Amino acid sequence: MPNKLLIGLAVLLAAGFAAFLGGVFVEPPAQAPSALAASQSAEDFKAGFALDASTARLVESLQATLEANPKDEQSWALLGLAYQQRARETGDPSYYTKSGGALDRALRLDPSDSLVYSGLGSLALSRHRFALALKLGRQAHALSPTIARNYGVIGDAEIELGRYRSAFRDFDTMTRLQPSLSAYARVSYGRELIGHTAAAITAMKLALDAATDTAEPAAWTRVQLGKLYFNHGRYRAAEREFLLANETFPNYAYALDALATTEAALGRLRRAVGYERRAVDLIPLPQYVATLGDLYRVAGRPLLARRQYALIGAIERLLRANGVRVDLEIAQFDVDHGLRLTHALALARIGQRQRPSIDGDDVLAWALTRNGRCGAALHYSQLALRLGTQDAVKFFHRGMIDRCLGRHAAGRAWFRRALALNPRFSLLWAPVARRYAA
Amino acid sequence: MRRLLVLAAAALALAAPVAATAHPLGNFTINRYTELDVQGDRLYAVYVLDLAEIPTFQARAAGGVNGAAYARRIAAHLHLTVGGRPAVLRPVRHELAFPPGQGGLETTRLEILLAGPKLEGRSSVAVRDGNYADRIGWREVVVRGADGARLVRSSAPARSISDRLLAYPKNLLQSPLEVSSAQAVVDPATAGGPPPALISPQLLADRVGVRAVADPGFARLIARSSVGGWFLPIALAIAFFWGAAHALSPGHGKSIITAYLVGARGTPRHALLLGATVTATHTIGVFALGLVTLSLSQFILPEELYPWLNLVSALLVVGVGVSVLRWRLREWRHARAHARGHHHHHHDHRDHDHSLGARRLLGIGISGGIIPCPTALVVLLAAISLHRVGYGLVLIVAFSLGLAATMTGLGLVAVGARRVFARVDLGGHAVRLLPAASALVVLALGIAMTVRAFPHVT
Repeated sequence: MPNKLLIGLAVLLAAGFAAFLGGVFVEPPAQAPSALAASQSAEDFKAGFALDASTARLVESLQATLEANPKDEQSWALLGLAYQQRARETGDPSYYTKSGGALDRALRLDPSDSLVYSGLGSLALSRHRFALALKLGRQAHALSPTIARNYGVIGDAEIELGRYRSAFRDFDTMTRLQPSLSAYARVSYGRELIGHTAAAITAMKLALDAATDTAEPAAWTRVQLGKLYFNHGRYRAAEREFLLANETFPNYAYALDALATTEAALGRLRRAVGYERRAVDLIPLPQYVATLGDLYRVAGRPLLARRQYALIGAIERLLRANGVRVDLEIAQFDVDHGLRLTHALALARIGQRQRPSIDGDDVLAWALTRNGRCGAALHYSQLALRLGTQDAVKFFHRGMIDRCLGRHAAGRAWFRRALALNPRFSLLWAPVARRYAA
Repeated sequence: MRRLLVLAAAALALAAPVAATAHPLGNFTINRYTELDVQGDRLYAVYVLDLAEIPTFQARAAGGVNGAAYARRIAAHLHLTVGGRPAVLRPVRHELAFPPGQGGLETTRLEILLAGPKLEGRSSVAVRDGNYADRIGWREVVVRGADGARLVRSSAPARSISDRLLAYPKNLLQSPLEVSSAQAVVDPATAGGPPPALISPQLLADRVGVRAVADPGFARLIARSSVGGWFLPIALAIAFFWGAAHALSPGHGKSIITAYLVGARGTPRHALLLGATVTATHTIGVFALGLVTLSLSQFILPEELYPWLNLVSALLVVGVGVSVLRWRLREWRHARAHARGHHHHHHDHRDHDHSLGARRLLGIGISGGIIPCPTALVVLLAAISLHRVGYGLVLIVAFSLGLAATMTGLGLVAVGARRVFARVDLGGHAVRLLPAASALVVLALGIAMTVRAFPHVT
């Protein structure tokens, strides 16, 4: 179905937002540290996960199997999952379409295979259909309640829907069932959300230890680890992880984008531009394009900056034409850049309703603030900070709200908190925070 | 049971996706195709560059796509070796087109013919495409021999599986190709052969502009270059035919028209009136949407309008259904009153119903024609980009007429069937119930359409 194809772009965009999607495909190696996991890994091996073969070769062998026997349900299901991993590795969204097709074939052959439902669930997550993902994850779970993977799908959807308590419970169950890269990464994300940074870093390092020979999940985990460092102002440590990630998996857009942000924080604008351009060339995610525009703006190249901002408009049109909802992302961009503020507020409201997560609350709070509705903004900012997340951007937004409400001392305290945590948290807003903190 | 079937058919029709001319691979892909052609004793290459919407937008923002400059740059990064030594590929000719893509954006298709050296005796040739090395997209290499030249060995196939990037395979078992180099050993002929042909601009507009459309037969008409003599009437006849055929695809309120005409004691005149309304609405709808696409695309995307049009169409049907039902109820009460012997108000029902009936007829006709067929829209946009606006307009009118002809035909069948049904006395009961049942069917269809349409507009 041709008009589904662009959805892939949104899929990749989602990878930025629902960043912990990573490693959903790759399950732990045979030497997983617990007895329970060992019994599970036999099944993984049968399923082809623990093979040394690269994903590309796995895809080829599954394709060959299915050419010979098109009724092989198990192979269709695995091919569906393998295509999702290929999409992550290559950035080519047409793999997502193929994944959906392969999983549908598997479903028709056997409507009671839990693997198919969880595969469709992770696809729905990638497409920002969080409620659908939750439903599919639960279907998968009902069919086989002891599969760790299903808890990952359910928990990921719950996070985006703002149901943190049950999400964290699911991540814990997942880790108990099968300690693996994907389980540890999710635990790390949960710890980060509740503000336990050191513990989050520990968990992400465990995830890194659990990485198999497949390069992309390892690179992805390094990027997540680096982002944890970055969010706490440890730019050099972050840079090291991003460089390693890009070495592990060359031309990795996620690593290049993260490197750009880090280089900018370290004051190396030219290098930052170079990295971000490569990231945009690989996968033109709106947030990458926005960062590139901001970099040009800060570097005093307004023409080039405007060109990037115009490109975001085109990408948005394409996503909308495909029925993909990116309201929250677009609202965030518009609010940050002072564009169409009332329209952005409307978008933020819609986005927050669809995704009542702390990120949804924060974007709505920020949109309200920039529209001068600071009283209402305060409510959503409180919601955004309800988990105790240590996020300089959210602190900054709260500071702006307090300032707008005339509570200058409280505002200054939030600005200082944001800067103490991550002095270069944003190209555009960190300088503002510095000015107001004084 | 039958009503269920009809309902299911209506639901299916509405669920069918709007055909948009999306790039068949992702909207940010850069797709490359290299073809080495040994024609007799001469070596040629055909290079095809297919930029999806986003790279096209980027290229435009960075100063536009200059075919000659692109051809030179691409030639510089297309590395050819003959017998292990680098050989030059010189761009000779190129064809450039900007087929319409999604969201009112364009895509780019550039075909380049490159001339290589003359081959003498058995030669090993190798080619490597270094263009856009880091960019995601389909990469395909093909090596062919013709005019007496023979391939001894080749690492590449002799036939393109994507038809030179015109038809990307949709096979679930086919990964996007990532081939950017090939080696071959060839036995050339002793005399030269003609250079391989590039696609003509007409054919290009034809093939690429309509790649994702449901009725390519109709859309291709616009790309035909010779417009004169006998061609126009034939083209119009074909457009009419495609319109008639298109009306048979799900949707277009066929079941509603049938149900309405059966229930409303329609006459052939009614059926004709319905057809005329459908034609007019559809033609106006396509032109209006085309206008929106061209002038207001900064604010509104045609893809976003479709859900609203679906809703309007559905609400119209609901309105007609309610109105018919109320009319029936009133009639039924009158009938009961008459039966009880109250003869005191004697106005002519027929006249009263007539004006109302015309309005309902209009409502049904508009609901059937208001959703512009995506193919017609593509034809209009292609006509504008090919500077054949007048021709495009007549084609669309012919298409709409075909659409209406099918609907009218169905209406006439319905009218005829009802009359036969009425003549055969099946016990007055069924005949008396028929109008009310038809009103209920129309209403149910309308509600089903509304329920389907509503979630898409929020």
